[in-house]
Order: sequence, then C-alpha cells, then structure tokens
Amino acid sequence: MAVNESNILNRLYFIAGCMFIFGLAVVFKLLSIQFLQGDVYRAKATERVVKNVVIPANRGNVYSVNGNLLATSIPKYDIRIDALTPKTKTFEKHIKPLCDSLFKYSGKPSSKFEKDIRRARANRNRYFLLARNIGYSDYIRLRNFPLLELGAFKGGLIVEQTTKREHPMGGIAQRTIGYERIDDKGNVTRPGIDGAFGIKYLRGVDGQRKKQQIGKGQWKPLSDANEIEPKDGYDVYTTIDVNIQDIAHHALLAQLEKYKADHGCVVVMETKTGEIRAISNLGRNKNGHYYERLNYAVGESHESGSTFKLMALAAAFEDKVVDTSDVVDTEKGILSFYGKKVRDSKHGGYGKVTVSKAFEVSSNTGIVKAIDQAYRKQPEKFVDRLYDMNLNSDLNLPIIGEPKPIIPDPRVKNGRWSGIALQWMAYGYGVSFTPLQTLTFYNAVANDGVMVKPRFLREVKEFDKVIEPFEKEVINKEICSKETIVKLQALLKNVVEKKHGTGYRLYSKNFSMAGKTGTCQKDYRDKEKLNYISSFAGYFPAENPKYSCIVVIHEPDKSVGYYGADVSGPVFKRVAQKIYTDTPLVDEIESLEVKMGAVEDEYEKFYKTAQIYKTIMPNLVGMPAMDALALLENMQIDVKVKLNGNGVVKAQSVNKNTKLKNNQIIVLKAS
Amino acid sequence: MIASSHSADKKVYEIARLKNEVKEMRSAFVDGRSKLMRLKMESHVIEVMKDKGLAPSVIPPKKIKVKKTQN
Repeated sequence: MAVNESNILNRLYFIAGCMFIFGLAVVFKLLSIQFLQGDVYRAKATERVVKNVVIPANRGNVYSVNGNLLATSIPKYDIRIDALTPKTKTFEKHIKPLCDSLFKYSGKPSSKFEKDIRRARANRNRYFLLARNIGYSDYIRLRNFPLLELGAFKGGLIVEQTTKREHPMGGIAQRTIGYERIDDKGNVTRPGIDGAFGIKYLRGVDGQRKKQQIGKGQWKPLSDANEIEPKDGYDVYTTIDVNIQDIAHHALLAQLEKYKADHGCVVVMETKTGEIRAISNLGRNKNGHYYERLNYAVGESHESGSTFKLMALAAAFEDKVVDTSDVVDTEKGILSFYGKKVRDSKHGGYGKVTVSKAFEVSSNTGIVKAIDQAYRKQPEKFVDRLYDMNLNSDLNLPIIGEPKPIIPDPRVKNGRWSGIALQWMAYGYGVSFTPLQTLTFYNAVANDGVMVKPRFLREVKEFDKVIEPFEKEVINKEICSKETIVKLQALLKNVVEKKHGTGYRLYSKNFSMAGKTGTCQKDYRDKEKLNYISSFAGYFPAENPKYSCIVVIHEPDKSVGYYGADVSGPVFKRVAQKIYTDTPLVDEIESLEVKMGAVEDEYEKFYKTAQIYKTIMPNLVGMPAMDALALLENMQIDVKVKLNGNGVVKAQSVNKNTKLKNNQIIVLKAS
Repeated sequence: MIASSHSADKKVYEIARLKNEVKEMRSAFVDGRSKLMRLKMESHVIEVMKDKGLAPSVIPPKKIKVKKTQN
C-alpha cells in the first residue's frame, strides 16, 4: 500500500474510532455499574462492615410466693485452653501446678490432666476443653489457676460464655417450674410454668440495631434511627411456697425410697384460693435415684380407687338415695356381679355396717352395695350427678399435658359402659383422674362446696409494676348442697379420728386432719404385673381447713407395704405437721399487768427496806440474792458486794444495823 | 470528625466491658443466692442441726397478743 497522506489519515481515523468506541464502552460499563447494578453492590459493600445486630431480650424470672428465685437466666462458662499458645518455658513451668489445681477442682487425677494437655500440645490442639458449663464462682476459681491466670495471649485461656436457664432450687419442683427448650430442628419442648408462660410473658421481644464493625470484633451502633428497642420479659410470680415445697419434696422422697416405689407426687393447695403451694413429682431412674421426671400431678391420669368413694357418696347423698346411717351388708367381704367379684381388703368383710362406717373402714363391698342398690335402675342419674359436680371436665390448666377425666356413660356409644361399670365406678375403677383433678374435688369439699380452680400464678410483673394479676377462679359455686358437704366433711374427719378408720395411724392429738386413703390396684388384668397405687387425699385442719393435699405413690414394693395410709399418709401428715408448727397459736390476754399477790408482797417488802436502809446494813437473810445485790448497790454509800452462790441469801458478813463505810466489802452467801 | 469517631469507638469498648461486668456480677449474685437458698432450706437446716441434737419442734410457737382496751 502506498504511503500517502490519505492512507495515514484513514488509519488514524480508524484507530481513533476504535479508541472512541472503547471509551464509550468503558463509560457505559461505568454507568451501568453505578446506576443499573449500583444498589446491589452498594448493599454488598455495607454488608461487610454494617449489620443488623439482634439485641436479645432478657428472659424474665420466675419467683416463688415469698419472692425467692425459682428460675432465672445466668451466664455459664466453658473453659478451654489453647495448648499451643504458651511458650515452652512458661508451659513447662506451670503445667504441673495447673494440673494439681485441676485435680483439686475436679477430683480427676492430676497425671491424667497432664497427659491430656501435653497430648493436646503435641497434636497442635488450640481448643482443648477443661470444664464445661460451670457457674460464675467456679469460673473465677479456674481463671486464677496457674497458666490460665496469664490470660489469653500468654496462657492460652479461652472462655466461652452462654446464657443458661438456671433453677436455684435445684431439682426441687423442677418439672413444675419448667423450661423452654428449642432443639436443632426447631421443635420446642415447654413443660411447666416457664414453658407455659414463655411466649406470653417471660420471653420479651428481641431488639434490633444497625451496627458498624470497628475492629477487635466489636460493633458500634451506626445511628439511633431504625432500631427496635429490646423489651425484657416480664417476671412471673408463682404461688409456690419454697418452705412447704421443700418439706413436701423431702417427705415424698423419703417415702418413695422406703417403699422403693416407681414414682409419686404430692400437691398442696390453699383451700380458699386454690393456690398451689407445693407440687412435687419424683420418679425413679435406672440407677434407683429419684428426680423430677414428669409432671405426674398434672399429666398422669389413673384409676382413683378408694379416693373416688367420696365422689360416689357425694352423688348419692345429694340425690338423697343413700344416707350416712343406712345399713349395708358387706356380705362376708365378697360381692359378685356378672361373675366378677368385688372384694374387701379385710378377709370376711365387716358384717352389717352403716354407710359411714363402710366409708371409714374403706369397705369396697359396703360402698358398692349402697351405690348398686341406689342407682342400679338408673345409672344415668349417678353419672349426671357426677357431671353436675364438674367431675367430667379438665381443669384447663396453663401447664400442658392435662388429660380429660374418664367417667363411663351408658348413653354414649363406646362410652366404656358395661354391666358392671356402675358397681366398679363406686369404688373407683373404670374412672380416671389426675391427682390434681381429684385434689380439686377434695378441696371443694374442704371449701364448703365452692370448687376453685387450682392456680400456679399470682401475678406477672415488670419490676414493681403489676402487668397482670391473677384472681381466684371459681369453677362451681356450689358443687352440692350444704347438708351433703357437712356429711362428707364428717366422714373424712372420721377416717382419721375414729379408731376403726383407715387413716387412724396418722392421727395426731396436736392437730386435726381429714382425708381418705386409697389403695388401688394397677395392671390388674395380668396377675404377674399386679401393682398398687397408694394415695391419700384430704385437708387440714379438719375444722376451718387451710390447705388440702394429695399424695399419690405408684407401685410401692409390695413386700414393704402398699396401703394408702402407710405409704402415702406419712407424707400428708408431715406436710400438715410442718404447716401446723409454722403457724403460731395466738393467745389473747386482757392486759400484761397481771397483779399476783406474792409478787406484790415481795416487791413491797423490798421497797420498804430500800427506803429505810440507806447507810445502815439491813437484814438480807431470806431475800433473793438478786434483790439483795440491787439493794446494796443502790445505797447512798458505795459498798463492794461479793456474792457466793445464787438463790436466797443465807448469811451476810456484816451484821444488820451496822453503819456502812465507803468501799466496805460485804460477802453474801446464798444457796 | 475522625477524633469524635474514635472517641465513640472507645465508648463502645467501654460499654462492652461494663456489660460483661454486669453479666458477671449478675451471675455471681444468682450463684450466691442459690447457694444461700439451698443452705437455708429447712431440710438442710434439720440435717446440719442433727449433729447438735436439735430438731424442729412439734408444737407451734405461741404468740401472746394483748387485747386493746378501749379507754
């Protein structure tokens, strides 16, 4: 190609054009990044240094009725060591003393610690666990151990802190106080009060805040705008009384251990208000230790046995088909219906007895006979009466897992009705209640017929401000007539106070109780597996009841004993006794100034002597030594008195009517 | 601008430190309190006093109340 001017120019234009297009492309890309994709990138950029930090709300506390902490959130610590960080010199210097301290702390041999830590160092383990989930005081102790006290950079100490829910009372009432736990899959388990009121009150609302990274792993808030304030959870005040709970727990534990029972529960309820003062549920694990496993009192429905006789008689009295003075024949202790037999625990029965005695001795045949005669033709009436007393409905408790009571009904298909249902119901088989449901009925009897709902909460508070108070809830203002109630109360009282009563072994002349024993067979379809449920339900004091209480113990060792009065009764008595001895008896007197002749006389005599003898020695023989001492020391002359012995003055070293001198020593002998 | 930003940063560190301190104090408090609660529980007191031959009374305390006379 010839080299001429136009060729050069053309080439120049071409290059310039290309460069212009390239420039345009750059500008276009720039603009597109800036404006088209700008937001995405800008967001990405801020994400690195700015983030929305969740400020977790503090979970509220659970308190007892007298203000003791039952559940609270506190930090727990995991202590680890970075085995590689310490220099060889420091490591060798401190490793022995550290392991000795760890031995003192944990009881594991020092040599094992040393071997493990040395191996961790050899394996270049920078994250070796020393202690997991320890409390604050232990954490402080560990932090001051040799090597660890040098800190993170020299000693390799690693501390990780997590917030844990803690029950200061330990295992006591744990199941009722409860917790809220979320597992890896997001499933929530929430037993007890802590679980039931977790979402509504305790949890609080998490806050949110925009923060910017500023190094050292810290974040600083960007602005005050666009943040959500965290709201701490409310505090929940329960009705549980720590002292009663403590006694109930240990009394139950002692009985369970004595009778090697499988599990048991005890509930104490304030009669007037329905407030639960104590609730203890203990079950045995594989090693034979007892601990709070399940909330048996709320969640375990079982056949009531003899404790149901009260409900049966209540219905019969109310319908006026049976009365306490009616005589029934216990027929030598065996009744037969459709080939099935009702037996008395006493071989041979009780002969012909009144209904009230049949109840007091807990005669199965006696009660069954009375109910059978009264309702055989119209079992619906009996069932309806039970319904009227709210026995068929659950208590609608906040704690989850309460089953509905079971009462057979002849009118309902598949209603568990059979030819012997009525008779079996009369002594507590075929029906099923939780301990708390049974207790609610007994409490209604104690409370003169007013059935109150058991409750666990007193109020919900935010610091001192009451957010939600809980009032007592009445389920039924009058479960039956006054007359019936009086009869039932007398029956329950007699069970304990009459010599023939099944609860007489619990009788105490110091304080009164009323209640009903129950010894119920469990798994009776298979003779091999036959076991017992021993229970005691009642209230105290018998007049003007303050508390009602139920004790249910499952599967006591038959060789040790299984009767309700022996197994469960003592727990009831211990609780009653505890509450009795804790409530002072009030003695009212008219006036503190009681004038006693002898005292008055003596005082007059003393006063007279003191008035006359001011410088002269009086006759002190026969006077109480303390009076004589006071008399001499209050004289106008300073004398020194030496008193030998105590009681009444027998001899004085200075004769009477002698003039006394300053600083004279007088010796008094008394005996 | 830079100075005030640094002073703000300093405050953040300070707050973080204090917060940690509060947490530690709180856990020390709860720790102590739960220890106390276990110590003062009746069952524990009974056990400790057993060695000294003391047991809870079976009769309740008596409270003497003087009736107020009207004059």
